[in-house]
Amino acid sequence: MQKNDQADKFIIPIGPQHPALKEPGHFEFTVDGEIVTGATIRLGYVHRGIEKATESRTWVQNLYLLERVCGICSHIHATAYCLGVERLAGLSVPPRAQAIRELVVELERIHSHMLWLGVAAHEAGFDTLFMYSWRDRETVMDILEGLTGNRVHYSANILGGVKIDVDAEQTKTILQGVDFLEKRTHHYLDVVTTDSAFVQRTAGIAVMSKAVAEHFGAVGPTARASGVTQDIRIDAPYLAYEDFPVEIVLDTAGDLKARFVVRVQELFQSYQVIRAILDKLPAGELAVTMPRRIKENETISRVEAPRGELFYYLKSNGTDKPERIKIRTPSICNFGTVPALAAGHQLADMPMILAGIDPCFSCNDRMVTIHRPADDSQTWTWEMLRQYGISYYREKER
Amino acid sequence: MNAIGMLTNLLFFPAGLFVLVTGLAYEWVDRKLVARFQNRLGPRWFQPLADMVKLLSKEEVIPEGLDVRLFVALPVVALAGALTAALYVPLVGLNPAHSFPGDLIVTLYLLSLLTMCIGLAGANTRDRFSLIGATRTLTQLFSYEAPFLLALLGPAIVVGSWQIREVTAYANQHWLILTQPVGFVIALIGLMGKLELPPFDAPEAETEIVAGALTEYSGRGLALFRLGKGVELVIGLTLVAAFFLGGVANPVAFFIKTLALLLIIAGLQSLFARLRIDQAVGLWWRYGALLALVQLLVLIILRFWGWNGGL
Repeated sequence: MQKNDQADKFIIPIGPQHPALKEPGHFEFTVDGEIVTGATIRLGYVHRGIEKATESRTWVQNLYLLERVCGICSHIHATAYCLGVERLAGLSVPPRAQAIRELVVELERIHSHMLWLGVAAHEAGFDTLFMYSWRDRETVMDILEGLTGNRVHYSANILGGVKIDVDAEQTKTILQGVDFLEKRTHHYLDVVTTDSAFVQRTAGIAVMSKAVAEHFGAVGPTARASGVTQDIRIDAPYLAYEDFPVEIVLDTAGDLKARFVVRVQELFQSYQVIRAILDKLPAGELAVTMPRRIKENETISRVEAPRGELFYYLKSNGTDKPERIKIRTPSICNFGTVPALAAGHQLADMPMILAGIDPCFSCNDRMVTIHRPADDSQTWTWEMLRQYGISYYREKER
Repeated sequence: MNAIGMLTNLLFFPAGLFVLVTGLAYEWVDRKLVARFQNRLGPRWFQPLADMVKLLSKEEVIPEGLDVRLFVALPVVALAGALTAALYVPLVGLNPAHSFPGDLIVTLYLLSLLTMCIGLAGANTRDRFSLIGATRTLTQLFSYEAPFLLALLGPAIVVGSWQIREVTAYANQHWLILTQPVGFVIALIGLMGKLELPPFDAPEAETEIVAGALTEYSGRGLALFRLGKGVELVIGLTLVAAFFLGGVANPVAFFIKTLALLLIIAGLQSLFARLRIDQAVGLWWRYGALLALVQLLVLIILRFWGWNGGL
């Protein structure tokens, strides 16, 4: 074997194409034997320019575009967008529509958390749990398909309300499915807390203290597993969360096991809220009419996606198209914790630490400006970007 | 033995074609059982054969910066070692094709040859996944090998012979699992470590290091390594069944006992999460080697007092 340039560094590259990752991202782990001494992350392989694309589409068209930011949490993106646009337009959405939105949001959370449970188990080499949790996840996928007609992009929202209704028969199917899932979830909670072979891969691994979680701005279940009391559903209730509340699920251990426990426990909250909604579904209209144009204004919209806080900034300019839409996704907030937690652990723990934040790579289709031009301006003109690109690649070649 | 008989032994039965086909069949049974345990459908019966045909017909990419002769020779040596071992074990309940005093030790070394070749193959390349995989393969080799060897020596100590034929002749009359349960468990789990089956699959943990030591192998080389593993599975199961489960006196007993062992192995594969390499080494040295050693000492002392080994 030849010596490479960095003779004292042995770097294990993971990604952008690697069996551990189903989506592209690049991680470099510097290892000393089996021990990881450092980690770097490079994201942005799936930059699709969605934020820019929204500016040339109408408010209605954008609903369908933004739902496709993520394939796992599609409904929550559409909901965050709808809530923002409705606030801009000054609409008040009927309570029945809000309750149905919340119903789909929670069903989506179940599907997302169960998907994560399987992926994380697979990263630990526990394929049996992977197969079982994905088999049971089909139940909630079938419910969503029966409710909305689609398994992935539900398109349940329209601006001003929803386009689906829940009838008595569907209620029965959903309740049956939820009962089955709750039984299974008890089993999974048992597995992730007591299976000794599995627990020795998760307990005490990648411990993140509350201070570290707050320092890196971690959100969602990742932060709650470190004892950070932050859940937008409780802090700033939206949709019908005031009428159908959830309880916050916390764990103070901060290790991988805590992240498993928090996510599995959150499933119980979702089941409880789904039952409450179906029990007392408000009667009334499903949608109100939405104006085509929205006068100049700006607003923000915060919701709790399965992975944490999802943030939308919306600006209108009086036409039927938005002036600017900015999305901050939860995964990009959580990714910062990975290099901080990686050092000192075994290489074998890396896939699990990575999976522990429930990374969604399509969430990372965001641009982050780190280098700024000389005058420290926040606004870059086209020419400035062009010059920056030319000089960046010249520097790199040298 | 005449030349034609020897050639038949080498090419068709028991080494050669027969054990290759049995290896593929057992690999299918293993995959199907694990799949059913995991609530999947699993592959069709000819899938391992189809995999082989596909791999053999594919282009073999030889990466740059390595010893090409070694790269090409290692899979051949690995398979040859496994096939040679087949000559000394009582496959299908028949007497071993060849036998000489001390062939038990030779067989066990031939079985380790495959793992050594895989380790060398990984160390030969410049690929970083392969290097880590090779380190782990060899680390694991050093951890399970001693307990595995000690466990299989237990029956030999009782019989007082290092010849597989004599040990099996004795084991046909006695269920040694009753007197040496520790040895049986360690031999079976050691076999899983040898074949890098879950939960001992850290050397080829796909979510960390892609395919471990064999990452750079494609086409023929990979096919030969996989065939070698299939053969080793059959030989390992035969040895454990013949030594501990009352022998394999006829074909029916052979298939029933080896397939029963395969069922246990498949169950263990689907029960556990993957052990980290440090956890695997700790398990073997802290419990495996110690227990095997204690049992061996007890056997030697009892034998010294004139115990014949049976119940």
